[in-house]
Amino acid sequence: MLPFAAMSTTSEVPAEFRHAATRPGPFTLLGEALADIFSRRRLVGYLVRADIKKKGADTFLGNLWWVLDPLLQMVVYVVFVSLIFDRATPDYPLFVLAAILPWKWFTSSVNDATTSVTSQGSLIRQIQFPKIVLPMAATSAAVVGFVFSLIPLVAIMLFFPHRFSPYLLLIPVVAVVQFLFTLGVGFIVAGVNVFFRDLGNVLRHFLRLWFYLSPGLYSLQMLESSTFFEQNPALLRILQLNPFATLFEGFRSVIYGSPDGGPHLPDFGALAALAVVSLVLIAIGGIIFKRLEPMYAKVL
Amino acid sequence: MSVALQAPPLKRTGAHAIDAVDLGVQYSLRFTKKTTLRQSFMQMFSREPLEPFWALRGVSFNLVRGESLGVIGPNGAGKSTLLQVLAGIIQPSEGAVEVHGHVSSLLTLGAGFDSELSGTDNILLAGAFLGLPDPVVRDLMPSIIEFADLGRFIDAPLKTYSSGMRARLGFAIATSVDPDILLLDEVLATGDADFRDKSKARVIELVKAAKGIVLVTHDMGWVTEYCNRAILLEQGRVIHEGDPAETVKIHVERSAQRKAERAAQLGTAAI
Repeated sequence: MLPFAAMSTTSEVPAEFRHAATRPGPFTLLGEALADIFSRRRLVGYLVRADIKKKGADTFLGNLWWVLDPLLQMVVYVVFVSLIFDRATPDYPLFVLAAILPWKWFTSSVNDATTSVTSQGSLIRQIQFPKIVLPMAATSAAVVGFVFSLIPLVAIMLFFPHRFSPYLLLIPVVAVVQFLFTLGVGFIVAGVNVFFRDLGNVLRHFLRLWFYLSPGLYSLQMLESSTFFEQNPALLRILQLNPFATLFEGFRSVIYGSPDGGPHLPDFGALAALAVVSLVLIAIGGIIFKRLEPMYAKVL
Repeated sequence: MSVALQAPPLKRTGAHAIDAVDLGVQYSLRFTKKTTLRQSFMQMFSREPLEPFWALRGVSFNLVRGESLGVIGPNGAGKSTLLQVLAGIIQPSEGAVEVHGHVSSLLTLGAGFDSELSGTDNILLAGAFLGLPDPVVRDLMPSIIEFADLGRFIDAPLKTYSSGMRARLGFAIATSVDPDILLLDEVLATGDADFRDKSKARVIELVKAAKGIVLVTHDMGWVTEYCNRAILLEQGRVIHEGDPAETVKIHVERSAQRKAERAAQLGTAAI
């Protein structure tokens, strides 16, 4: 006969609750969001592990795609920009790979976060758990993909040994800032997608536009020297305020450096500013998510 | 672990496992339909007011520790919504509910299973969703596998399971915890005849062990046999509360009456 485990012994679920028709204030919601994630961190861990086990399990090459995908994308951009447009930037494959890797990470995080709540409809209707663990797990699992994608970076680095430098050790610093920013975005898209299921379609195009407007295939420096932006400094200012201007420039300075010089320290001031903005975004995203949360079980 | 309780409209009485005061659950039809941006835009400009729908309204009751409460009523009466509120899944739009003790609902058969993962991984994941600590889940693992009768399939991905195997695994996981308050919603028809007997015995065992039970069922035999009290819900409202046999009798009478009325209507329509 099957033994019982007494739920009351060491459960992570509170032993009593009181639900009333109230609208808690934003700070209460934010506190709840943080408490939810902290008290159910083990669930987040399991979800991340499940996600990693699943990814790549159903394709022929499996997890190899984490390595192949950025390389193939790099080839496309290199052919496109250096052969067709004939723009000569030295060591362009490395230049563009330094932007492809963080961007791939960002888009896969946002896409996974978008469907993280809606794909668990039957579960949400049947057990009570803090839904915020879902976007949290989705964005965390995507970090693993990014770490794997550093393998092709090392491989490409071998072709450009003069760009190899200890500044590569600063990649995690820039990555932490990007993770914070992504998490804030992830909370918002996960909550909103419950009510507008075509958010994914909108995002796909929005993200593509965002990439081309961010200094990934080109550097901010190239824009600054163009006559168009010299005449329209306000437009340039807007492009500089783009979070991915800071992130791409950050990754590029530690991986690639500048066209005529080696890698160097990133702009720590800009990164710190973005980190602060990201924390505010996480707070806003957490509040939006928690505000919408009571409706998920009814809508899904 | 306990949650700080806010100021009452409720009297906190230690003997009550559940206190529900004037519960109301409203569904706004604006979002309950699957929405796309286009539909929401259309709704924004349309003049038709969207009628709110009350799945439950003005429901008050309490569950004394050790008591077993049967909830009966016709389809669409709000029985399952009530269980969702008691499980903390849905928050009331009106009134308040206070639950003292760990709640487990056997609504959870196979919810959240991931067909790409193995049986073992799914047990671990389900345990984490239920909030069970890791060592507890690992202790339970062998008996869950044995009860679900999965044999060597336990390491195969769930997509290779038959629907019976999935149901058995779901049942074994859901019944492996011993809650303070057990919420049951018609889960007895699981799997083949053999397993149905086994699962029925298991539910009876759980019912006997639980410190409080809310049972939603269409099987009146269960209500009269296992409940000390029953409520009859119709269209989200409590019609009757009291002795199970008496409540069942009222329910049966009212159903018969409705049936007769419908038949009469059909009859007049035919003429």
